[in-house]
Amino acid sequence: MTKTAERIWIVLTILTWFAYLLGDLQLVGTWMVEALLISTFVKGGLIIDHFMGLKNVQYKYRLVPIIWLVLVISLVAISYYWTI
Amino acid sequence: MTVQQDVITKVPYPPGDFAIWIVIYVELATFGSFFIGYAFARRENVELFNASQSILNQTAGLIDTLLLITSSYFIVKAVNAVKNVTSTNSEADHVWAARWLLVAIVLGLFFLINKLLEFSDLFEQGIDLNTNKFFMFYFILTMFHFMHVVLGVIILLITREKTKKNHYSRQNCRGIETGAAYWHLVDLLWIVLFPLVYIIR
Repeated sequence: MTKTAERIWIVLTILTWFAYLLGDLQLVGTWMVEALLISTFVKGGLIIDHFMGLKNVQYKYRLVPIIWLVLVISLVAISYYWTI
Repeated sequence: MTVQQDVITKVPYPPGDFAIWIVIYVELATFGSFFIGYAFARRENVELFNASQSILNQTAGLIDTLLLITSSYFIVKAVNAVKNVTSTNSEADHVWAARWLLVAIVLGLFFLINKLLEFSDLFEQGIDLNTNKFFMFYFILTMFHFMHVVLGVIILLITREKTKKNHYSRQNCRGIETGAAYWHLVDLLWIVLFPLVYIIR
């Protein structure tokens, strides 16, 4: 479990730097926004499953935050694409 | 694995006190509304939002994110240490759990200091809640989140005191799991807030 937590932390750190570099290098365009939102979904999913410990809990408890994440990220994506 | 077997092997309830999960779901709905409100408000004022966003310190946002995910990692280690407690290693595991909690608390405090410095820098530039719609959302979202981090640190301090007194064990770890669940919520919210407010243009 500890080894899993360390791997999760490494992935979260790498994805955070990825997001930061996209912004810092001003690479955020249409496809980069998609990459950024997907990476945010992956990070959120890792926290929900492994840090919050919902991976092995009955689906109904796990589904609420997952649906929340999908809904928020999808609506952010929709609002972004409506502006371009 | 069949669906039936899968249901059987799943734990019936999430870790920690069930009441904290009601709080977590309500908080997700509240912050989610703000996030969606921000995204659609941006749609109406793209140039204003992009110009205002460029004033923000992205490096401070990066540091905030790294502090919170690292803090969350140490909380996981603390909970694992408590769950590892047996009659033969009880004292050592409690000591380690208290240490990991202390590291998580210190990282949380660094987050708060970094955020205060960021707020102070913006105030010095004459920017506040009334400057424009972007900063209204920025201050409401980040200050609301800031208050959650303050509460999270207080919860972790109480949890650490109980851990030091060997209050928790493998059979009785609901208290520390409850505190951990709340702290991970604070982390999850920031994970979405960071790209939304600091990065996406």
